[in-house]
Amino acid sequence: MGRLADALKSGAFVVTGEIGPPKGADLQGCLRDAETLRGQVTAINVTDLQSAIMRIGSLAVCARLVERGLEPVFQLACRDRNRLALQSDLLSAWALGIENVLCITGDHPVLGDHIEAKPVYDLDSVQLLKAVSTLNDGLDMAGHDLETRPGLFAGAVVTPGAEPVEPQLIKMKKKIEAGACFFQTQAVYEPDRFERFMDQAQALGVPVIAGMVILKGVGMARFMNANVAGITVPDSMISEMQDTRREDRKKKAVEISARIIRQIKPLCQGIHIMPLGWEDLVPEIIQEAGLASG
Amino acid sequence: MDEIMGYLRPGEKVFVVGCDNCAAKCHSGGIPETEQMAKRLESRDVNVVGWCVPQPKGISLCKLSNTQTVLGEEYAEQVKQADSFLVLACGQGMHTVMDATDGGMVHPGCDTIFGGETVTDDFITEYCSLCGECIVEYTGGLCPVTLCAKSLLNGPCGGAKDGKCEVDRTRDCGWQLIYDRLKALGRLSQMADYVEPKNNSRSSRPRSLKIGAGEATFRSLGGELKVSSES
Repeated sequence: MGRLADALKSGAFVVTGEIGPPKGADLQGCLRDAETLRGQVTAINVTDLQSAIMRIGSLAVCARLVERGLEPVFQLACRDRNRLALQSDLLSAWALGIENVLCITGDHPVLGDHIEAKPVYDLDSVQLLKAVSTLNDGLDMAGHDLETRPGLFAGAVVTPGAEPVEPQLIKMKKKIEAGACFFQTQAVYEPDRFERFMDQAQALGVPVIAGMVILKGVGMARFMNANVAGITVPDSMISEMQDTRREDRKKKAVEISARIIRQIKPLCQGIHIMPLGWEDLVPEIIQEAGLASG
Repeated sequence: MDEIMGYLRPGEKVFVVGCDNCAAKCHSGGIPETEQMAKRLESRDVNVVGWCVPQPKGISLCKLSNTQTVLGEEYAEQVKQADSFLVLACGQGMHTVMDATDGGMVHPGCDTIFGGETVTDDFITEYCSLCGECIVEYTGGLCPVTLCAKSLLNGPCGGAKDGKCEVDRTRDCGWQLIYDRLKALGRLSQMADYVEPKNNSRSSRPRSLKIGAGEATFRSLGGELKVSSES
Protein backbone atom coordinates (compact mmCIF):
# COMPACT_ATOMS: atom_id res chain seq x y z
CA MET A 1 0.00 0.00 0.00
CA GLY A 2 1.20 3.48 -0.77
CA ARG A 3 1.58 6.24 1.80
CA LEU A 4 -1.72 7.91 0.85
CA ALA A 5 -3.79 4.73 1.13
CA ASP A 6 -1.98 3.89 4.38
CA ALA A 7 -2.56 7.28 5.93
CA LEU A 8 -6.24 7.39 5.01
CA LYS A 9 -6.75 3.89 6.34
CA SER A 10 -5.10 4.76 9.63
CA GLY A 11 -7.33 7.78 10.03
CA ALA A 12 -4.44 10.24 10.04
CA PHE A 13 -5.27 13.72 8.71
CA VAL A 14 -3.76 13.85 5.26
CA VAL A 15 -2.26 16.73 3.26
CA THR A 16 -1.87 16.43 -0.52
CA GLY A 17 -0.37 18.90 -2.95
CA GLU A 18 -0.51 19.48 -6.68
CA ILE A 19 1.74 20.39 -9.59
CA GLY A 20 0.95 21.16 -13.19
CA PRO A 21 3.11 19.87 -16.07
CA PRO A 22 4.57 22.47 -18.44
CA LYS A 23 3.68 23.25 -22.02
CA GLY A 24 7.06 22.15 -23.26
CA ALA A 25 9.35 19.18 -23.53
CA ASP A 26 11.40 19.59 -20.33
CA LEU A 27 10.34 18.58 -16.82
CA GLN A 28 12.98 20.32 -14.71
CA GLY A 29 10.81 23.25 -13.59
CA CYS A 30 7.89 21.02 -12.76
CA LEU A 31 10.09 18.66 -10.74
CA ARG A 32 11.55 21.62 -8.85
CA ASP A 33 7.98 22.56 -7.83
CA ALA A 34 7.52 19.00 -6.62
CA GLU A 35 10.70 19.18 -4.55
CA THR A 36 9.27 22.18 -2.69
CA LEU A 37 6.52 19.89 -1.49
CA ARG A 38 8.79 17.04 -0.37
CA GLY A 39 8.20 16.23 3.26
CA GLN A 40 5.25 18.63 3.41
CA VAL A 41 2.60 16.46 1.81
CA THR A 42 1.78 12.76 1.67
CA ALA A 43 1.16 12.70 -2.08
CA ILE A 44 1.35 15.10 -5.01
CA ASN A 45 -1.40 15.32 -7.64
CA VAL A 46 -0.22 15.78 -11.22
CA THR A 47 -2.89 17.35 -13.39
CA ASP A 48 -3.95 15.88 -16.77
CA LEU A 49 -4.17 18.61 -19.42
CA GLN A 50 -6.00 20.80 -16.93
CA SER A 51 -8.42 23.29 -18.47
CA ALA A 52 -8.00 21.36 -21.75
CA ILE A 53 -4.66 23.07 -22.35
CA MET A 54 -2.15 20.86 -24.13
CA ARG A 55 0.87 20.07 -21.95
CA ILE A 56 3.25 17.26 -21.09
CA GLY A 57 1.34 14.27 -19.78
CA SER A 58 0.65 13.44 -16.18
CA LEU A 59 1.98 9.92 -16.67
CA ALA A 60 5.50 11.10 -17.53
CA VAL A 61 5.67 13.45 -14.55
CA CYS A 62 4.25 10.85 -12.16
CA ALA A 63 6.86 8.33 -13.32
CA ARG A 64 9.65 10.81 -12.55
CA LEU A 65 8.18 11.53 -9.12
CA VAL A 66 8.21 7.82 -8.32
CA GLU A 67 11.89 7.65 -9.34
CA ARG A 68 12.60 10.43 -6.88
CA GLY A 69 10.79 8.74 -4.02
CA LEU A 70 7.83 11.12 -4.11
CA GLU A 71 4.31 9.71 -4.21
CA PRO A 72 2.13 10.95 -7.07
CA VAL A 73 -1.61 10.99 -7.62
CA PHE A 74 -2.04 10.34 -11.35
CA GLN A 75 -4.95 12.46 -12.58
CA LEU A 76 -6.67 10.81 -15.51
CA ALA A 77 -9.37 12.60 -17.51
CA CYS A 78 -11.99 11.06 -19.78
CA ARG A 79 -11.84 13.90 -22.24
CA ASP A 80 -8.98 12.77 -24.49
CA ARG A 81 -8.75 8.99 -24.41
CA ASN A 82 -11.12 6.17 -25.32
CA ARG A 83 -11.57 3.08 -23.13
CA LEU A 84 -8.66 1.29 -24.81
CA ALA A 85 -6.24 4.11 -24.08
CA LEU A 86 -7.59 4.69 -20.58
CA GLN A 87 -7.18 1.06 -19.54
CA SER A 88 -3.77 1.02 -21.17
CA ASP A 89 -2.66 4.14 -19.30
CA LEU A 90 -3.91 2.65 -16.03
CA LEU A 91 -1.80 -0.46 -16.58
CA SER A 92 1.13 1.71 -17.69
CA ALA A 93 0.83 3.75 -14.51
CA TRP A 94 0.92 0.65 -12.34
CA ALA A 95 3.88 -0.72 -14.26
CA LEU A 96 5.73 2.56 -13.62
CA GLY A 97 5.16 2.30 -9.88
CA ILE A 98 2.22 4.69 -9.72
CA GLU A 99 -0.51 3.59 -7.37
CA ASN A 100 -2.93 6.48 -6.84
CA VAL A 101 -5.24 7.56 -9.64
CA LEU A 102 -7.79 10.36 -9.62
CA CYS A 103 -10.55 9.62 -12.15
CA ILE A 104 -12.09 12.79 -13.54
CA THR A 105 -14.33 13.82 -16.43
CA GLY A 106 -12.09 16.60 -17.74
CA ASP A 107 -12.82 20.14 -18.86
CA HIS A 108 -14.35 20.36 -22.34
CA PRO A 109 -11.88 21.11 -25.20
CA VAL A 110 -13.85 24.22 -26.08
CA LEU A 111 -12.50 25.80 -22.86
CA GLY A 112 -8.89 25.13 -23.71
CA ASP A 113 -6.36 26.07 -26.32
CA HIS A 114 -7.26 23.51 -29.01
CA ILE A 115 -10.95 24.19 -29.40
CA GLU A 116 -11.24 22.15 -32.60
CA ALA A 117 -10.08 18.97 -30.93
CA LYS A 118 -12.47 16.03 -30.87
CA PRO A 119 -13.89 15.50 -27.39
CA VAL A 120 -13.67 11.79 -26.56
CA TYR A 121 -15.57 11.10 -23.29
CA ASP A 122 -15.89 7.44 -24.29
CA LEU A 123 -16.20 6.80 -20.57
CA ASP A 124 -17.42 9.12 -17.85
CA SER A 125 -15.71 9.32 -14.46
CA VAL A 126 -17.99 6.70 -12.91
CA GLN A 127 -17.32 4.24 -15.71
CA LEU A 128 -13.60 4.96 -15.44
CA LEU A 129 -13.69 4.12 -11.73
CA LYS A 130 -15.45 0.89 -12.63
CA ALA A 131 -12.71 0.20 -15.17
CA VAL A 132 -10.07 0.59 -12.44
CA SER A 133 -11.96 -1.83 -10.19
CA THR A 134 -12.28 -4.30 -13.03
CA LEU A 135 -8.56 -4.14 -13.84
CA ASN A 136 -7.75 -4.57 -10.15
CA ASP A 137 -9.86 -7.74 -10.29
CA GLY A 138 -7.70 -9.06 -13.11
CA LEU A 139 -10.03 -8.42 -16.05
CA ASP A 140 -10.29 -5.79 -18.73
CA MET A 141 -13.56 -4.03 -19.57
CA ALA A 142 -14.37 -6.55 -22.27
CA GLY A 143 -14.04 -9.44 -19.84
CA HIS A 144 -10.64 -10.74 -20.91
CA ASP A 145 -8.15 -12.02 -18.33
CA LEU A 146 -5.12 -9.86 -17.59
CA GLU A 147 -1.76 -11.63 -17.31
CA THR A 148 -1.04 -9.70 -14.14
CA ARG A 149 -3.30 -7.36 -12.26
CA PRO A 150 -2.68 -3.89 -10.85
CA GLY A 151 -3.63 -2.71 -7.38
CA LEU A 152 -4.59 0.88 -8.10
CA PHE A 153 -5.96 3.13 -5.39
CA ALA A 154 -8.70 5.14 -7.06
CA GLY A 155 -10.10 8.49 -6.08
CA ALA A 156 -12.60 10.93 -7.54
CA VAL A 157 -13.70 14.53 -7.27
CA VAL A 158 -16.81 16.11 -5.81
CA THR A 159 -17.95 19.75 -5.78
CA PRO A 160 -19.34 20.68 -2.36
CA GLY A 161 -20.17 24.18 -3.58
CA ALA A 162 -22.38 23.06 -6.48
CA GLU A 163 -25.92 24.45 -6.62
CA PRO A 164 -27.94 22.25 -6.41
CA VAL A 165 -25.67 19.91 -4.48
CA GLU A 166 -27.96 16.86 -4.55
CA PRO A 167 -26.80 15.65 -8.01
CA GLN A 168 -23.22 15.77 -6.70
CA LEU A 169 -24.16 13.55 -3.77
CA ILE A 170 -26.08 11.15 -6.00
CA LYS A 171 -23.04 10.85 -8.26
CA MET A 172 -20.68 10.61 -5.27
CA LYS A 173 -22.56 7.50 -4.15
CA LYS A 174 -22.30 6.05 -7.67
CA LYS A 175 -18.57 6.74 -7.67
CA ILE A 176 -18.16 4.89 -4.38
CA GLU A 177 -20.13 1.94 -5.70
CA ALA A 178 -17.89 1.97 -8.77
CA GLY A 179 -14.76 1.86 -6.62
CA ALA A 180 -13.75 5.32 -5.44
CA CYS A 181 -11.70 4.98 -2.24
CA PHE A 182 -11.21 8.69 -1.56
CA PHE A 183 -12.42 12.08 -2.72
CA GLN A 184 -10.65 15.35 -3.29
CA THR A 185 -13.00 18.30 -3.50
CA GLN A 186 -13.18 21.50 -5.51
CA ALA A 187 -11.87 24.45 -3.50
CA VAL A 188 -13.69 25.35 -0.29
CA TYR A 189 -13.96 28.95 0.94
CA GLU A 190 -17.15 28.73 2.95
CA PRO A 191 -16.84 26.45 5.98
CA ASP A 192 -20.61 26.61 6.70
CA ARG A 193 -21.55 25.41 3.27
CA PHE A 194 -18.88 22.73 3.45
CA GLU A 195 -20.29 21.57 6.78
CA ARG A 196 -23.76 21.20 5.29
CA PHE A 197 -22.29 19.17 2.45
CA MET A 198 -20.27 16.95 4.79
CA ASP A 199 -23.36 16.28 6.93
CA GLN A 200 -24.57 14.17 4.02
CA ALA A 201 -21.29 13.12 2.40
CA GLN A 202 -19.61 11.74 5.50
CA ALA A 203 -22.39 9.19 5.89
CA LEU A 204 -21.19 7.57 2.67
CA GLY A 205 -18.17 6.32 4.58
CA VAL A 206 -15.33 7.31 2.25
CA PRO A 207 -12.53 9.77 3.16
CA VAL A 208 -13.00 13.32 1.88
CA ILE A 209 -9.95 15.55 1.35
CA ALA A 210 -11.10 19.17 1.10
CA GLY A 211 -9.63 21.31 -1.66
CA MET A 212 -7.86 24.61 -1.10
CA VAL A 213 -6.71 26.96 -3.84
CA ILE A 214 -4.30 29.61 -2.52
CA LEU A 215 -5.91 33.00 -3.07
CA LYS A 216 -3.38 35.19 -4.85
CA GLY A 217 -5.51 38.31 -4.91
CA VAL A 218 -8.79 40.04 -5.53
CA GLY A 219 -8.55 39.56 -9.29
CA MET A 220 -8.17 35.83 -8.92
CA ALA A 221 -11.05 35.58 -6.45
CA ARG A 222 -13.37 37.53 -8.72
CA PHE A 223 -12.29 35.50 -11.74
CA MET A 224 -13.03 32.23 -9.96
CA ASN A 225 -16.40 33.47 -8.73
CA ALA A 226 -17.39 34.41 -12.26
CA ASN A 227 -15.89 31.51 -14.14
CA VAL A 228 -15.15 28.45 -12.06
CA ALA A 229 -18.13 26.27 -11.22
CA GLY A 230 -18.64 25.34 -7.60
CA ILE A 231 -16.22 27.92 -6.18
CA THR A 232 -17.49 30.89 -4.21
CA VAL A 233 -15.07 33.26 -2.52
CA PRO A 234 -17.24 35.24 -0.10
CA ASP A 235 -17.37 39.05 -0.38
CA SER A 236 -15.94 39.42 3.12
CA MET A 237 -12.81 37.55 2.01
CA ILE A 238 -12.50 39.68 -1.11
CA SER A 239 -12.75 42.84 0.99
CA GLU A 240 -10.13 41.45 3.32
CA MET A 241 -7.74 41.00 0.40
CA GLN A 242 -8.64 44.37 -1.01
CA ASP A 243 -7.59 46.03 2.27
CA THR A 244 -4.23 44.27 2.17
CA ARG A 245 -1.12 46.11 1.02
CA ARG A 246 0.51 44.74 -2.11
CA GLU A 247 3.67 43.66 -0.30
CA ASP A 248 1.60 41.69 2.23
CA ARG A 249 -0.33 39.71 -0.40
CA LYS A 250 1.49 36.45 0.17
CA LYS A 251 1.24 36.77 3.92
CA LYS A 252 -2.52 37.36 3.63
CA ALA A 253 -2.84 34.36 1.30
CA VAL A 254 -1.19 32.16 3.92
CA GLU A 255 -3.37 33.63 6.66
CA ILE A 256 -6.63 33.03 4.80
CA SER A 257 -5.67 29.52 3.73
CA ALA A 258 -4.61 28.54 7.22
CA ARG A 259 -7.78 29.99 8.73
CA ILE A 260 -10.07 28.07 6.40
CA ILE A 261 -8.11 24.87 6.98
CA ARG A 262 -8.40 25.22 10.75
CA GLN A 263 -12.14 25.70 10.41
CA ILE A 264 -12.82 22.73 8.17
CA LYS A 265 -10.23 20.32 9.56
CA PRO A 266 -12.69 18.73 12.05
CA LEU A 267 -15.12 18.05 9.21
CA CYS A 268 -12.96 16.03 6.83
CA GLN A 269 -10.07 13.60 6.48
CA GLY A 270 -7.52 15.84 4.80
CA ILE A 271 -6.64 18.94 2.83
CA HIS A 272 -5.67 19.10 -0.83
CA ILE A 273 -3.61 22.23 -1.53
CA MET A 274 -3.53 23.61 -5.08
CA PRO A 275 -0.75 26.22 -5.05
CA LEU A 276 -1.04 27.33 -8.72
CA GLY A 277 2.56 28.47 -8.80
CA TRP A 278 2.91 29.53 -5.15
CA GLU A 279 4.36 26.19 -4.01
CA ASP A 280 6.77 28.07 -1.75
CA LEU A 281 3.89 29.09 0.52
CA VAL A 282 2.77 25.53 1.20
CA PRO A 283 5.13 24.85 4.17
CA GLU A 284 3.99 28.09 5.87
CA ILE A 285 0.33 27.30 5.32
CA ILE A 286 0.75 23.83 6.76
CA GLN A 287 2.57 25.29 9.74
CA GLU A 288 0.05 28.04 10.42
CA ALA A 289 -2.88 25.70 9.98
CA GLY A 290 -1.46 23.43 12.65
CA LEU A 291 -1.34 20.42 10.42
CA ALA A 292 0.80 17.45 11.41
CA SER A 293 3.78 16.84 9.11
CA GLY A 294 3.70 14.40 6.19
CA MET B 1 -21.73 32.04 -52.87
CA ASP B 2 -17.95 32.25 -53.20
CA GLU B 3 -17.59 28.73 -51.91
CA ILE B 4 -20.22 27.43 -54.32
CA MET B 5 -18.75 29.36 -57.24
CA GLY B 6 -15.43 27.77 -56.34
CA TYR B 7 -16.96 24.34 -56.97
CA LEU B 8 -17.99 25.16 -60.54
CA ARG B 9 -15.81 24.91 -63.60
CA PRO B 10 -16.05 27.43 -66.43
CA GLY B 11 -18.93 26.49 -68.74
CA GLU B 12 -20.33 23.88 -66.35
CA LYS B 13 -24.07 23.37 -66.92
CA VAL B 14 -25.81 23.35 -63.56
CA PHE B 15 -29.26 22.18 -62.49
CA VAL B 16 -30.32 23.40 -59.03
CA VAL B 17 -32.37 21.07 -56.82
CA GLY B 18 -34.02 21.96 -53.52
CA CYS B 19 -35.96 19.98 -50.90
CA ASP B 20 -39.50 20.80 -49.85
CA ASN B 21 -39.14 19.31 -46.38
CA CYS B 22 -36.29 20.21 -44.01
CA ALA B 23 -34.43 22.56 -46.36
CA ALA B 24 -37.70 24.42 -47.01
CA LYS B 25 -38.35 24.64 -43.25
CA CYS B 26 -34.89 26.08 -42.74
CA HIS B 27 -35.31 28.44 -45.68
CA SER B 28 -32.16 26.98 -47.21
CA GLY B 29 -33.65 25.06 -50.12
CA GLY B 30 -37.35 25.58 -50.51
CA ILE B 31 -38.99 26.92 -53.67
CA PRO B 32 -38.11 30.64 -53.13
CA GLU B 33 -34.53 29.82 -52.12
CA THR B 34 -33.92 27.43 -54.98
CA GLU B 35 -35.26 29.93 -57.50
CA GLN B 36 -33.11 32.62 -55.93
CA MET B 37 -30.02 30.43 -56.11
CA ALA B 38 -30.63 29.78 -59.81
CA LYS B 39 -30.88 33.56 -60.40
CA ARG B 40 -27.74 34.25 -58.37
CA LEU B 41 -25.78 31.73 -60.40
CA GLU B 42 -27.11 33.20 -63.65
CA SER B 43 -26.10 36.69 -62.56
CA ARG B 44 -22.58 35.30 -62.11
CA ASP B 45 -22.63 33.92 -65.65
CA VAL B 46 -23.17 30.31 -64.70
CA ASN B 47 -25.03 28.26 -67.29
CA VAL B 48 -28.12 27.24 -65.29
CA VAL B 49 -30.08 24.67 -67.28
CA GLY B 50 -32.94 24.56 -64.82
CA TRP B 51 -34.10 24.24 -61.24
CA CYS B 52 -36.76 22.44 -59.26
CA VAL B 53 -38.01 21.47 -55.82
CA PRO B 54 -39.64 18.05 -56.24
CA GLN B 55 -43.30 18.04 -55.22
CA PRO B 56 -45.85 17.14 -53.78
CA LYS B 57 -45.67 19.74 -51.06
CA GLY B 58 -43.63 18.84 -48.01
CA ILE B 59 -42.01 15.76 -49.48
CA SER B 60 -38.39 15.05 -48.62
CA LEU B 61 -35.81 15.07 -51.39
CA CYS B 62 -34.43 11.89 -49.85
CA LYS B 63 -37.46 9.88 -51.00
CA LEU B 64 -35.70 8.32 -53.97
CA SER B 65 -38.69 7.05 -55.92
CA ASN B 66 -40.27 10.47 -56.02
CA THR B 67 -37.08 12.34 -56.85
CA GLN B 68 -36.35 9.83 -59.56
CA THR B 69 -39.78 10.39 -61.14
CA VAL B 70 -39.56 14.18 -60.95
CA LEU B 71 -36.04 14.43 -62.34
CA GLY B 72 -36.41 11.56 -64.77
CA GLU B 73 -39.77 12.56 -66.23
CA GLU B 74 -40.88 16.14 -65.53
CA TYR B 75 -37.42 17.61 -65.95
CA ALA B 76 -35.91 14.93 -68.14
CA GLU B 77 -34.64 17.35 -70.84
CA GLN B 78 -32.85 19.75 -68.49
CA VAL B 79 -31.45 16.94 -66.36
CA LYS B 80 -30.00 15.33 -69.49
CA GLN B 81 -28.22 18.56 -70.38
CA ALA B 82 -26.85 19.16 -66.90
CA ASP B 83 -23.17 18.51 -66.10
CA SER B 84 -23.92 18.76 -62.40
CA PHE B 85 -26.53 19.34 -59.75
CA LEU B 86 -26.25 21.95 -57.05
CA VAL B 87 -28.28 20.47 -54.20
CA LEU B 88 -29.82 22.65 -51.52
CA ALA B 89 -30.51 19.89 -49.00
CA CYS B 90 -28.70 17.61 -46.58
CA GLY B 91 -26.29 14.85 -47.50
CA GLN B 92 -29.14 12.36 -47.57
CA GLY B 93 -30.88 14.48 -50.23
CA MET B 94 -27.67 14.94 -52.19
CA HIS B 95 -27.07 11.26 -52.35
CA THR B 96 -30.63 10.72 -53.51
CA VAL B 97 -29.98 13.03 -56.44
CA MET B 98 -26.86 11.01 -57.25
CA ASP B 99 -28.95 7.84 -57.21
CA ALA B 100 -31.83 9.41 -59.12
CA THR B 101 -29.52 10.54 -61.89
CA ASP B 102 -27.47 7.35 -62.09
CA GLY B 103 -24.40 8.81 -60.47
CA GLY B 104 -24.78 12.43 -61.52
CA MET B 105 -22.22 14.92 -60.19
CA VAL B 106 -23.56 16.73 -57.16
CA HIS B 107 -22.35 19.84 -55.35
CA PRO B 108 -23.40 20.57 -51.81
CA GLY B 109 -25.27 23.83 -51.54
CA CYS B 110 -25.73 23.59 -47.79
CA ASP B 111 -23.70 22.65 -44.73
CA THR B 112 -25.91 20.06 -43.08
CA ILE B 113 -25.84 20.30 -39.33
CA PHE B 114 -28.33 17.93 -37.73
CA GLY B 115 -31.75 16.37 -37.73
CA GLY B 116 -33.85 18.34 -35.30
CA GLU B 117 -37.20 19.15 -33.86
CA THR B 118 -39.00 22.13 -35.33
CA VAL B 119 -39.94 23.70 -32.02
CA THR B 120 -41.30 26.81 -33.68
CA ASP B 121 -41.04 28.00 -37.26
CA ASP B 122 -37.91 29.95 -36.36
CA PHE B 123 -36.19 27.59 -34.03
CA ILE B 124 -35.02 24.06 -34.66
CA THR B 125 -32.86 22.17 -32.21
CA GLU B 126 -31.58 18.68 -31.52
CA TYR B 127 -32.93 16.28 -28.99
CA CYS B 128 -31.66 13.04 -30.47
CA SER B 129 -28.23 11.84 -31.54
CA LEU B 130 -29.47 8.78 -33.37
CA CYS B 131 -27.17 6.58 -31.32
CA GLY B 132 -29.25 3.43 -31.54
CA GLU B 133 -29.28 2.74 -27.77
CA CYS B 134 -32.04 4.79 -26.31
CA ILE B 135 -31.85 5.29 -22.53
CA VAL B 136 -34.24 8.17 -22.16
CA GLU B 137 -36.61 5.92 -20.26
CA TYR B 138 -34.17 6.43 -17.36
CA THR B 139 -33.55 10.12 -17.84
CA GLY B 140 -37.08 11.45 -17.93
CA GLY B 141 -37.25 11.43 -21.71
CA LEU B 142 -34.26 13.75 -22.07
CA CYS B 143 -31.23 12.47 -23.94
CA PRO B 144 -27.90 13.02 -22.15
CA VAL B 145 -25.92 12.12 -25.28
CA THR B 146 -27.50 15.11 -27.01
CA LEU B 147 -28.10 17.55 -24.19
CA CYS B 148 -24.84 17.09 -22.27
CA ALA B 149 -21.82 18.66 -23.97
CA LYS B 150 -19.74 15.71 -22.83
CA SER B 151 -22.48 13.14 -23.52
CA LEU B 152 -22.07 11.80 -19.99
CA LEU B 153 -24.27 8.86 -19.17
CA ASN B 154 -23.62 9.17 -15.43
CA GLY B 155 -23.78 12.91 -15.02
CA PRO B 156 -23.42 15.68 -14.06
CA CYS B 157 -19.80 16.79 -14.17
CA GLY B 158 -18.55 19.51 -11.84
CA GLY B 159 -18.65 22.23 -14.43
CA ALA B 160 -22.26 23.42 -14.32
CA LYS B 161 -22.85 26.87 -12.88
CA ASP B 162 -26.35 28.12 -12.08
CA GLY B 163 -27.73 25.26 -14.12
CA LYS B 164 -25.74 26.28 -17.20
CA CYS B 165 -23.10 24.24 -19.00
CA GLU B 166 -19.39 25.00 -18.60
CA VAL B 167 -18.89 25.18 -22.37
CA ASP B 168 -21.48 27.90 -22.87
CA ARG B 169 -23.11 29.75 -20.03
CA THR B 170 -26.22 30.44 -22.11
CA ARG B 171 -26.86 26.73 -22.56
CA ASP B 172 -28.63 24.56 -20.01
CA CYS B 173 -26.68 21.80 -18.31
CA GLY B 174 -28.21 18.63 -19.74
CA TRP B 175 -27.97 16.84 -16.43
CA GLN B 176 -29.58 19.72 -14.56
CA LEU B 177 -32.53 19.33 -16.95
CA ILE B 178 -32.59 15.58 -16.37
CA TYR B 179 -32.38 16.02 -12.58
CA ASP B 180 -35.23 18.55 -12.57
CA ARG B 181 -37.36 16.37 -14.82
CA LEU B 182 -36.80 13.16 -12.82
CA LYS B 183 -37.68 15.04 -9.65
CA ALA B 184 -40.87 16.34 -11.24
CA LEU B 185 -41.78 12.83 -12.35
CA GLY B 186 -41.03 11.37 -8.92
CA ARG B 187 -38.32 9.16 -10.45
CA LEU B 188 -35.15 10.64 -9.00
CA SER B 189 -34.02 7.20 -7.85
CA GLN B 190 -33.31 6.36 -11.48
CA MET B 191 -30.46 8.86 -11.42
CA ALA B 192 -28.70 6.68 -8.84
CA ASP B 193 -28.52 3.72 -11.22
CA TYR B 194 -25.19 3.03 -12.93
CA VAL B 195 -25.30 3.35 -16.72
CA GLU B 196 -22.89 1.18 -18.71
CA PRO B 197 -20.54 2.74 -21.28
CA LYS B 198 -21.97 3.32 -24.74
CA ASN B 199 -21.74 0.71 -27.46
CA ASN B 200 -20.05 2.95 -30.00
CA SER B 201 -20.05 0.31 -32.70
CA ARG B 202 -23.76 1.04 -33.08
CA SER B 203 -23.02 4.66 -33.95
CA SER B 204 -20.22 4.10 -36.45
CA ARG B 205 -21.44 5.18 -39.85
CA PRO B 206 -22.81 4.43 -42.34
CA ARG B 207 -25.70 2.37 -40.99
CA SER B 208 -28.69 0.86 -42.67
CA LEU B 209 -32.16 -0.42 -42.01
CA LYS B 210 -33.61 -3.19 -44.16
CA ILE B 211 -37.37 -3.56 -43.85
CA GLY B 212 -38.93 -6.94 -44.58
CA ALA B 213 -42.28 -8.59 -43.95
CA GLY B 214 -42.96 -8.30 -40.23
CA GLU B 215 -39.35 -7.54 -39.43
CA ALA B 216 -36.52 -5.07 -39.86
CA THR B 217 -32.76 -5.49 -39.74
CA PHE B 218 -30.52 -2.73 -38.43
CA ARG B 219 -26.96 -3.03 -39.62
CA SER B 220 -23.98 -1.24 -38.14
CA LEU B 221 -20.38 -2.04 -37.26
CA GLY B 222 -21.85 -3.52 -34.10
CA GLY B 223 -23.47 -6.26 -36.14
CA GLU B 224 -26.97 -7.00 -37.28
CA LEU B 225 -29.95 -6.46 -35.07
CA LYS B 226 -33.22 -7.99 -36.24
CA VAL B 227 -36.48 -6.85 -34.76
CA SER B 228 -39.83 -8.45 -35.40
CA SER B 229 -43.21 -6.78 -35.45
CA GLU B 230 -44.75 -10.08 -34.35
CA SER B 231 -44.25 -10.81 -30.70
